Amino acid sequence: MYENLTLFQTASAFARHAEKRQALAAQNIANADTPGFKPRDLKDFAQSFREMQRQSGENGFSGHRTAFEAVQDERTAAAPNGNAVSVETEMMRAVDIRLQHDTALAIYRSALGILRTSLGRQ
Amino acid sequence: MTDLKSSMDVSMGGLLAQAGRLSNVAQNIANADTPGYKRKLTSFTQTMEANDAPSVVALAPTRRDSSQGQLIYDPEHPLAGSDGTYEGSNVSLLVEIADAREAQRTYEANLRSFDNARQMSRSLLELLRR
Repeated sequence: MYENLTLFQTASAFARHAEKRQALAAQNIANADTPGFKPRDLKDFAQSFREMQRQSGENGFSGHRTAFEAVQDERTAAAPNGNAVSVETEMMRAVDIRLQHDTALAIYRSALGILRTSLGRQ
Repeated sequence: MTDLKSSMDVSMGGLLAQAGRLSNVAQNIANADTPGYKRKLTSFTQTMEANDAPSVVALAPTRRDSSQGQLIYDPEHPLAGSDGTYEGSNVSLLVEIADAREAQRTYEANLRSFDNARQMSRSLLELLRR
């Protein structure tokens, strides 16, 4: 039932986006010394969200069929062995992901509170 | 949630790989004075798993640096040849310590990443509490 409300859908898509980013960031960090490895990140949430909305009609956004696209992060220069992971960048990314996930959960929780209140429960 | 789980697995692989690297560094340093010792080289490979499963890092088979060790002049040494020198190890302490520092830094980064995933899944589960 909650899944059908746009706010819940958006919040959970936002949280899933953060989780997928975390999975990629973990790979980036784990491969910080693997020759030839290029760091990856997901496309911006706002951008993917607009694309998904366009695909599924103006208000028919479905949180379930969300496929986020991974792109290579080209910002850092590669080391002589072809590895382009910067641990500092990854740490900043991790903080960003954490913030995004917390935001998504806060929105979800707040919407849940509003829903409860409207049902007359505490 | 599955992404967070796989994130933890990947971080775990990273931790193990860096620990293996540190162990190689420790062996090199311990054998810095062993005549004829060739230092161990650590390299990493990605293990690509089926479908789009995450790529976990693993240690590649250990290779040895085959460069010539430093020749030490000591005619009294049991291993000394006719010219009075013997081959020492080819370990350079400076290189090993730099390598150890790098391994430590990456190990910590992996640990942070693991902790991040753990806290994220924890706060996700907090939603159920009430």
